[in-house]
Amino acid sequence: MKISDYLTLEHVVILTGATKVDALNELVSAANDFIESIGTEELARAVWEREKMMSTGIGQGLGIPHVRLPGLDDAVMVVGVSQAGIADYESLDDKPVHIIVLIVAPQGKHEIYIRLLAKVANVLKQDDVRKAIAETDDPAEVYRILTEGKV
Amino acid sequence: MTPVISAVLAQAPLPTLLVIGLAILFGTIGARIFQKLHIPQVVGYIAIGVAIGQSGLGFISKEVVGSLEPFCFFALGIIGFMIGGELHRDVFKKFGRQFLAILFAEGIGAFLTVSILISGAGMLLGMGPAKSIALGIMFGAIASATAPAATTSVLWELKTRGMLTTAIFAIIALDDALALVMFSIAASIAGKIIHSGSGGILAALLHASRELFGAAALGIAVGFALNFVLRRMRDRDRSLAFIIGAMALVIGLTKALDVSMILAAMALGVTLANLAPRRSRETFNVVERFAPPIYVLFFVIVGARLHIQGMQPWMWILVVPYLVGMGSGKIIGAYLGARWTNAAPVIRKYLGICLFSQAGVAVGLSLIADKKFPDTIGPVIIAIIAAATFIAEIIGPPCVKYAVKAAGEVGLNVTEEDLMLSYNAGDMLDHELPSFAENTTLTKILRTIAETDAMSYPVTDADGKLTGIITIDELKKTFVAEGLTDWLLAFDLMRPVPDSVTVQTPLAEAVTRMREQELEYLPVVAAEGDTHLAGMLELAAVNRSLSREVLRRQQLADEPIKE
Repeated sequence: MKISDYLTLEHVVILTGATKVDALNELVSAANDFIESIGTEELARAVWEREKMMSTGIGQGLGIPHVRLPGLDDAVMVVGVSQAGIADYESLDDKPVHIIVLIVAPQGKHEIYIRLLAKVANVLKQDDVRKAIAETDDPAEVYRILTEGKV
Repeated sequence: MTPVISAVLAQAPLPTLLVIGLAILFGTIGARIFQKLHIPQVVGYIAIGVAIGQSGLGFISKEVVGSLEPFCFFALGIIGFMIGGELHRDVFKKFGRQFLAILFAEGIGAFLTVSILISGAGMLLGMGPAKSIALGIMFGAIASATAPAATTSVLWELKTRGMLTTAIFAIIALDDALALVMFSIAASIAGKIIHSGSGGILAALLHASRELFGAAALGIAVGFALNFVLRRMRDRDRSLAFIIGAMALVIGLTKALDVSMILAAMALGVTLANLAPRRSRETFNVVERFAPPIYVLFFVIVGARLHIQGMQPWMWILVVPYLVGMGSGKIIGAYLGARWTNAAPVIRKYLGICLFSQAGVAVGLSLIADKKFPDTIGPVIIAIIAAATFIAEIIGPPCVKYAVKAAGEVGLNVTEEDLMLSYNAGDMLDHELPSFAENTTLTKILRTIAETDAMSYPVTDADGKLTGIITIDELKKTFVAEGLTDWLLAFDLMRPVPDSVTVQTPLAEAVTRMREQELEYLPVVAAEGDTHLAGMLELAAVNRSLSREVLRRQQLADEPIKE
């Protein structure tokens, strides 16, 4: 499984908002073109429903919001980077989140969904990868690092 | 209304197939109504027969009854065959002496009481001593017969199993043989008394033994042949054809050879059941599934045959002592026989009242009596036996039902399918099965799964409403997600609920739905429109519980037999 199968350069955004709400809204808007059939409102509702159960800020500056929705053909990803960090993300380690990867998967493709989550978590487990992404404001560079899995 | 219909029908009688269709349809509806009233369904068939037969609307005329006679023989053949299937060697080895003693006691008991009461009644009616005594012993002999059909119909309907059930099967199987012998002797004595019979007692006995042993030999021979064929047959449909063919052959041959039909069919069943006890189970199951419409038709015809309008008032006076004598004679005889042989208390107490039903053999014997004494007591015997057997057929089944219920043998002879029909989904819930809240982490889920042995787990929201399912198969896919176990939740892992049932859904329906959708599990919710989780049904667990329950009931029923 390759990240490039699910992520395009256009879906890497440099976040301008400083709050979790703003950041997630930016990512949801960026996902608009894939999810026309569903609509951004429905996606935002699903993302927030999941966040309410438990924050997807998994520590080490990472947030991986993820939802499954019916009516999609394939899984998609949107990546947002905030150099300043999102302080109110309620991360597991209480630290600001710099990299947010939104994963939206079709309802029936459970396996792809889990594998994609695992793949993203594995790539971003590397300290140098996280550091390089968090410090750049060039979407192309973020895209390259993520898809190659190394700095 | 009735005369009009009769007049129309006399002009253009209904085609036989239409009569069969109507009889089976209405008979089944009647049975359903009677079942709702807790009366055995066989009574419903007969009641419908009366309603649409000669005593009622007249749809089934005397001629139609005559044309349907082969069906009746066939039904009796099937019944004989099925009873034969219940008679296993080991039961006879163990209880043979006991059952024989009870058989003779109840048979002779009925003979004596009926003979005395009818002779007395005959004299009171001014028939004179000779005719009264002749009539008495003829009725006495006929009274010793017990109709297997209605009796076994109740046992099968109530799925009984146990000591009393075993005794009933054995006694009614042998009862007709005894009745035939007693009838032959009685007819010969009656002939001597009223000087209209021919031949001595020896000749009568020879004739009876030819009828009995001929029937047994025929049944055994065809049984061996059928067993030989079935041993090589794997295809169920083809074996059904062979079994039915063999039965029709036996029944036809008994008519041609003038030997006892029920006994021959019984001998066929006994032979098969004892040659290959396990394999023949399947054979009997096949016939059992095929038989119901034939039974229905048979009992509807029993009712339709009755012609109440043709009965003269004084004849009813003889019906009462006949029925009272038969009932009390059988109860006292069975009780004494059981006491002398130290039979189980349930047999002592209840066997007698299970032997009231009378039908085919009794009517058959009355027809023979009519042929033998056409100018004297014959017509009286025919009319009275027709009315008495009709009443016996109506009182008999509820008595059997009462007895097997009191003996605690109801519902002990069940299969998984039977049990399934008696349960709801709510009865089979695994109450110990844990469910997960949507925000349970994968770490906790894995820990719980390690400690339980289910294959699927329901997921509920904060209100306890069912929102999804996590299956072990699904979880296997998360093993790639090493490091995610602390932040993946049940919500992320669950799949939508494929289907669900309520606690009230019949278990059979729930299991059918699982099989159709190839589901190993099915969530159960509180009620229609209320998705609060009640539990999970797991197909494997349901099958296990049903098998365990079947085994438990069988052991409960067989305990006293094995002791």
